[in-house]
Amino acid sequence: MIRRLEPQSGEVIDRETPLKFTWNSKKYVGYAGDTIASALLANNQQVFSRSMKYHRPRGVLTADYWDPNTTVQVGTEPNVRGAHRLLEADMKVSAQNAWPSLDLDVKAANGLFGRFLTAGFYYKTFIKPQRLWPLYEKVLARFAPGGVVDLNTPHGYHDKRYAHPDVVVAGGGPAGLAAAISAAKAGMSVMLVEQNHHLGGHLRWGTDQDRETADDLEAAARDAGVEILTDSAVTGRYDDNWIAISQRDHPGVVERLIKARAKTLVVAAGLVERPYVFSGNDLPGVMLSGAVRRLINMYAVRPGNHAVVLTANAEGDAAVADLERVGVEVARVVDARAGETISKATGSSKQLGSVTLADGSTVKADLLVTAAGWTAPTSLLNMSGDRPSYDPAAARFFPTALPDNVIATGGLVGDGSLDELIAHGISSGELAAQRAAAVKHRLRSTVTRAQNPKGPEPPVQQDRRIGLSRAPHPELYRSDTHGMVDFSEDVSSKDLVNAAAEGFDSVELVKRFTTATMGPSQGKLETVNTVAVLAEARGETIEEVGTTVWRPPYAPISLGALAGRVFEPVRVSSLHEWHTANNMTPILAGQWIRPEHYGDPGAEVANVRTNVGIIDVTPLGKLDLRGPDVPKLLNLLYTNKWSKLPIGRVRYGMMCAEDGVVLDDGVTGRLGEDHYLMTTTSSGAGQIWQWVEMWLQTEHPDWEVHVTPVTTGFTSINIAGPKSRELLMRLVDDVDLSAEAFEYMNVRTGTIAGVPDCFMWRIGFTGELSFEVHVPAGFGLHVWEQLIERGADLGVGPFGLEAQRIMRLEKGHFIVGQDTDGLTKAPTTGLRALIKLDKDDFAGKPELEWALGPEAPELPVLVAITPTDPRLVPDEACQILREGTTEIVGRITSSRFSPSLQRSICLGQVTPEFAAAGTMLTVRLCDGSDTTARVMEHHAHFDPEGVRLRG
Amino acid sequence: MLLVPCPHCGPRNSADMSYQGEASSRPDPSSATPAQWRDYLYMEHNPAGWLKENWYCSSGCRRFFSVERHTVTSEFREPPLPGSKTAEPGAGTDRQGGGS
Amino acid sequence: MTKQVIELSEKSAKLSPVFRRNQAPRYSAAALLWRGVRNDSWPRVWREPQLKKSYDAVVVGGGVHGLATAYYLAANHGITDVAVLDKAYLGSGGSGRNTAIVRSNYLTPEGVAFYDRSLDLYNTMSADLNLNVMFSERGHLTLAHTDSAVRTMRWRAEVNKLQGIDSTVIGPDEISKIAPSLDTSPNTRYPILAALYHPPGGTIRHDAVVWAYARAADAYGVDMHQKTEVQDIVCEGGDGPDGKGPGAKVTGVRTSKGDVSAPVVINCTAGWASLIAAMAGIQLPITTHPLQAAVTEPVKVFLPTVVVSGSLHVYVSQTDRGELVFGASVDPFATYDMRGTLDFTEELAGHVLELMPAVSQMRLQRQWAGLCDITPDYSPVMGFTPVEGFLCDVGWGTYGFKAGPVSGEQMAKCVADGATPDLISPFALSRFNDGVLVGEKGAAAVGH
Repeated sequence: MIRRLEPQSGEVIDRETPLKFTWNSKKYVGYAGDTIASALLANNQQVFSRSMKYHRPRGVLTADYWDPNTTVQVGTEPNVRGAHRLLEADMKVSAQNAWPSLDLDVKAANGLFGRFLTAGFYYKTFIKPQRLWPLYEKVLARFAPGGVVDLNTPHGYHDKRYAHPDVVVAGGGPAGLAAAISAAKAGMSVMLVEQNHHLGGHLRWGTDQDRETADDLEAAARDAGVEILTDSAVTGRYDDNWIAISQRDHPGVVERLIKARAKTLVVAAGLVERPYVFSGNDLPGVMLSGAVRRLINMYAVRPGNHAVVLTANAEGDAAVADLERVGVEVARVVDARAGETISKATGSSKQLGSVTLADGSTVKADLLVTAAGWTAPTSLLNMSGDRPSYDPAAARFFPTALPDNVIATGGLVGDGSLDELIAHGISSGELAAQRAAAVKHRLRSTVTRAQNPKGPEPPVQQDRRIGLSRAPHPELYRSDTHGMVDFSEDVSSKDLVNAAAEGFDSVELVKRFTTATMGPSQGKLETVNTVAVLAEARGETIEEVGTTVWRPPYAPISLGALAGRVFEPVRVSSLHEWHTANNMTPILAGQWIRPEHYGDPGAEVANVRTNVGIIDVTPLGKLDLRGPDVPKLLNLLYTNKWSKLPIGRVRYGMMCAEDGVVLDDGVTGRLGEDHYLMTTTSSGAGQIWQWVEMWLQTEHPDWEVHVTPVTTGFTSINIAGPKSRELLMRLVDDVDLSAEAFEYMNVRTGTIAGVPDCFMWRIGFTGELSFEVHVPAGFGLHVWEQLIERGADLGVGPFGLEAQRIMRLEKGHFIVGQDTDGLTKAPTTGLRALIKLDKDDFAGKPELEWALGPEAPELPVLVAITPTDPRLVPDEACQILREGTTEIVGRITSSRFSPSLQRSICLGQVTPEFAAAGTMLTVRLCDGSDTTARVMEHHAHFDPEGVRLRG
Repeated sequence: MLLVPCPHCGPRNSADMSYQGEASSRPDPSSATPAQWRDYLYMEHNPAGWLKENWYCSSGCRRFFSVERHTVTSEFREPPLPGSKTAEPGAGTDRQGGGS
Repeated sequence: MTKQVIELSEKSAKLSPVFRRNQAPRYSAAALLWRGVRNDSWPRVWREPQLKKSYDAVVVGGGVHGLATAYYLAANHGITDVAVLDKAYLGSGGSGRNTAIVRSNYLTPEGVAFYDRSLDLYNTMSADLNLNVMFSERGHLTLAHTDSAVRTMRWRAEVNKLQGIDSTVIGPDEISKIAPSLDTSPNTRYPILAALYHPPGGTIRHDAVVWAYARAADAYGVDMHQKTEVQDIVCEGGDGPDGKGPGAKVTGVRTSKGDVSAPVVINCTAGWASLIAAMAGIQLPITTHPLQAAVTEPVKVFLPTVVVSGSLHVYVSQTDRGELVFGASVDPFATYDMRGTLDFTEELAGHVLELMPAVSQMRLQRQWAGLCDITPDYSPVMGFTPVEGFLCDVGWGTYGFKAGPVSGEQMAKCVADGATPDLISPFALSRFNDGVLVGEKGAAAVGH
């Protein structure tokens, strides 16, 4: 540890706790409290990475979160900010962008060809021969920067939190702390978010007195009840102060997303130090003044031995003092305020060697410190709609107009003594508290409640804060040489000048052409320099060029934290456990998990056709409709007529959207005078509920209908097969189930297996005699088990979705969304008799009238199809062609092998020309071969007269 | 996340709501010409400014309501009082979704 | 065919079939080296011309569609007296905000034919326009998680095959070989059952496409005017106020930089299509929704193909720079506000991790939004309108970038011939009046 200094009064390292770690597989030791970068520097490691394009060696530049050169791989985690992440015991740290190694980097040869690899060079070359471009592309892709994703990385545990603080303060420097304290003292709940590991901002690397002030402020904030998050960042401000916070100091969770609806947001993000642009500004040994001060005061690391310091402000002066205090020889102080500057830096491939001053003289140095000025990180203000404006006298951007619920303080708005900053913070916190109180009042009085606040809403508090002054600062952006502007993208000022000369001369175009500001720092270090270089190239002012809009997130946030625990609920029926215990093969149907079959769907079909089977149809959408105007509603939603449906009867109906496209279908029954039960398709259940509510609430609010969704309130079971009546009769005493008393398309209410208030419908999708029973869900399993137990001698068995699909296809029943699509209008289904154009009104009526009228365009026709080869089952979606051509005249929408008929059967849509019964169709199979198939007379392949159904 | 002022529930996250599109009135189906009907089905004003639109409070009170929102600034105007005729019908088809 | 367009097409017919380009320096590796050696800089990619008082045609919108239209007007039809107006900078709208995925595996024969032509143009664009647009033919996987999605993929594959498009349905094993980072195990919440694999699909450098067209059009003498906002379209003879609306004829545009007279005005905007059309008194079946996208920090390349999941509303590809680029479906409500939302990133991350759990430690570094004009049938509105001389190439929803080249080519042909080309006839505005929509809605889902 040859670079570690004697103990410093402000150091944050714990010399009692050494931590072993590896860097590129070599062993090193740092201290608890070290960042990865400070520990490596203390071990005399200067080169942390190679740059993206030219593979130039890079060392510490800012020594904080935004350092573009110290991004490393830690175990499986790529792109770790090495100058921010704290060292942990046994960390495995490696360099990311070096091949084959950091020391010997063959791609550095690119540096020699730098003049040919100017920004955007790839647009101008690799054009011909075109067939070689994929090869070139592979080579380019090898230059992709960044770490490595281990494909075995687990998802990891990530939590989320919703918070409703009155005030969120972004930034825990002196102004932010003061704002948090005063807002909390005004009675507000306050959340303070600080990106660094310590509160106090720049006070942490300042004087002992500075640190004392920081400690006092921190203690006061804790006393006032401020919730303090460190190593965390406000990553975004979204609509209505929806604040995203990435929290990294929560025990047990690596990174947690907090979503806070803040009544006011105080932005106290401070200032980011800006690099100076000159030749050699990316050599290891060139650092910003903040980096030097942090390394010395917080980490007790000697940043170099012979220093040149370029200073334009007090921070630079303080760096000089710090360096001298710890015995670094300061060979030259170059004062930009006196008009002095440097020209360039030169050195070996891995180390700064000397600095050339503007007058041409050179000074030997292994450390060049620049204090060239500040960038206001106005990200969160941009996200609040602000477009900052440039002040040349202060050489930085300032906010212009903020919404009432966003307040900026600290370095973002001005300069001043520590006392002035704290005073501004205090008044900002008070303003935030007053405005939050007004929002609270408004929220509580918006809706009538038992305890509405009394009195009028307090007016929005005017901003009467005493503003911070703006300290004069020289505009110091680029020396007389060209250097790096974007360190992570390897974009130099020369690249920007060239791009501007080529016509990419607006800030957005130059950004897109050169990729400046597009890398991991996202412009925190580069944006203002980009603008300044462009302004110089265009002969305009920085104001005229303007700046780019900073987009969220303020700081990168992991996909794991954003995803949280994946919350994608599934729905299961009350019989799910039984299905699972009985060898169900599950299938995902929308949100539902349903039994596809229990081993052999063909056997299940055979059992239904010969004995009796039961299927769980709980996902079927069910709406309980009550009120005298239900028939009006049904008339409006279905295409057929409902006014005369007697009690105890059920009817099939088809619904259309207003454009005449089939929306849903199902059976609705009348249970009592003013009581109906509507069933919908499983997938349409939610949509149809909303559809019903929409018509009732918006078009016919005067109708007396009450709608209750009861889909999962009942367990729905279809009992199908020739022996279904016999089975059900064994469980039902109070309803006469005989063919004469309980006819097809009727509904009864009664007791099943001792469970009262069950609905029994005599309907079915399978074509067999069948009963659909809706049992209060709590008793679903009981009834199901009773059916299985009491029907054992009848051969009862469960059947799944696949058997039902086969049987419905045998019967020619279409499925909305499979046999119809987003453009299928009702006449295509063939159910012409169900479209009653003599009704006054129903959804989609005008379109259907025109579709059935004399000038109707040709609509496809849904037909049953049997392939000529009975063993051949064309895949669903196979296309039907005009013979001898590739003209598409239809497609197979459903197909199965029918166990009942021992042949393949299909439904399909064809153009009218091919719809007549007996037409031979050409079907293109998925393997490219053609087969023939015949159009059938009826949709039903099996029992077209419906004898079994009505038995 | 935008707060949408439900007249019954108060401000709610837009994720709790289901957007229903521009408010438009349904022509009389018995007399509408194809042009009128298809205007109702397909045509939109789509202004960059104040827009009268319908929302469905799908995770709250499940009421449909109309509000005026500025489509550039996302501000809402004062919502109508509960009990007044709150909404006009939207077009029947779902306009949301991705590309193809 | 409208009178004004006839005049313009007659004018184009009089010109020689071989049109002269200006002497722009060619891009090549040799030229790059030569200039590198001599330390020469390159000349401007396009001029900064003065706005003239009149043009033969004005294109509103300096994105891929507008620039391609202008380029093909000049290159294919000799109509070079053309202005392209953009209120910001070239490519500032959807062209520079999309996720740059191209493919032709659409559902309907119309769609397939159209996008296949676009893919052809993209394929040879670098050479045709002498600028490397970095077309990366890396293949395109559309995942299916349900049996109905598998059916739709097969539907697309079958239609595609009939039109000679390389498009097949493949199973989890093959998917896993193509993209090992995908979790193809059967025990996930949304298991990957199959995928539509489309090897010719891929990605392209979207900005480069904009610049290539702009540079090539400029060489033919087309004027590009940036920061020039169209404030009104001047019409006469129409039924509406100010002589606008059906029956009117266009005489020019008012811009923030002065008035321009022109017999033909082509609306090639996205996000502002309704507003521009309203200036001519035309109403469109369009609502404007933001489409968001996001990008991660770079990592070494591990995802070799484009992956789309319709059910999970996400698409992802990895750039040559190593970033993962994500997109999803459009925002749920209409707005012209291009702010990003947090819920977009949350949902996106959740769904990406469903597909690729290994990327949970990667970090999102930027999100943005563009505006999409959504039509009821997810298909564009192209060609003539009831206002003479006012044409539209709008309503591109989330797939406008893929169609840029062919749209430009066909719109130019439409103007030059004075008749609607077959390739775009299904997309006429009149279809909404006739109630005959395009079938892409049949399988409407996210599908980049």
